[in-house]
Amino acid sequence: MSEMKNKQSLDRRGFLKVASLGSAAAAASVAPGIVTPAQAYNPGKEETKGRYRETDHVKAFYRTNSY
Amino acid sequence: MARMKFLCDADRCIECNACVTACKNENEVPWGINRRRVVTINDGKPGERSISMACMHCTDAPCAAVCPVDCFYVTVDKVVLHSKDLCIGCGYCFYACPFGAPQYPKVGNFGSRGKMDKCTFCAGGPEADLSPAEFQKYGSNRLAEGKLPLCAEMCSTKSLLAGDGDIIAKIYKERVVKRGYGSGAWGWKTAYKETVAI
Repeated sequence: MSEMKNKQSLDRRGFLKVASLGSAAAAASVAPGIVTPAQAYNPGKEETKGRYRETDHVKAFYRTNSY
Repeated sequence: MARMKFLCDADRCIECNACVTACKNENEVPWGINRRRVVTINDGKPGERSISMACMHCTDAPCAAVCPVDCFYVTVDKVVLHSKDLCIGCGYCFYACPFGAPQYPKVGNFGSRGKMDKCTFCAGGPEADLSPAEFQKYGSNRLAEGKLPLCAEMCSTKSLLAGDGDIIAKIYKERVVKRGYGSGAWGWKTAYKETVAI
């Protein structure tokens, strides 16, 4: 009876050992794919282009505000 | 290259709040957010002054410096804009900004305030110019239309100036030279007597 109990506990330990090894291996195999260097938001030229133009509308604003 | 700036002539601001209303209407800003506010100092006392405040589009913007997701960017016109797609609503920019410009649609803790909203100098956002998506997220893009921010354009006393920093600084300088400043200004003693000096 005690032998059987011993065997059972060993089996359980064995399972845990294998499981932990397996999960470590899985993490090791996945990790290089997940870890990527952090990158700052790099807006394109279209987003940062200058939109201000000195149109007649804008010139009129400057003219009427200069007094 | 022109550098976009706001300049509020505090001697002319009459605290009508029309700039605030115009901004909300033009950009369809949601309830609870004011991209522009009028701040009054010494309210009700002699020497009271009002100033219209919004994002000042800082040269070295502290909001951009503290953003953990780096969602801010600066255009060639030196307008500080941000991407609402990247913003996580953490609130760091609000604490960093000396003008209290960043606003949030909801009251809540970290991450539950919604996307940050602020003055865009009427220059839209990262979406395509004048697209419905841009309008829905950031409001109108008047700069792309060849205009200036509406708050400044409709200021009745011509207190709020916007546009090329060099030009508006020159306009303000000419005004000060002509009228004097504070208690040295024309009409000051008639309005406030000799007792109030600024």
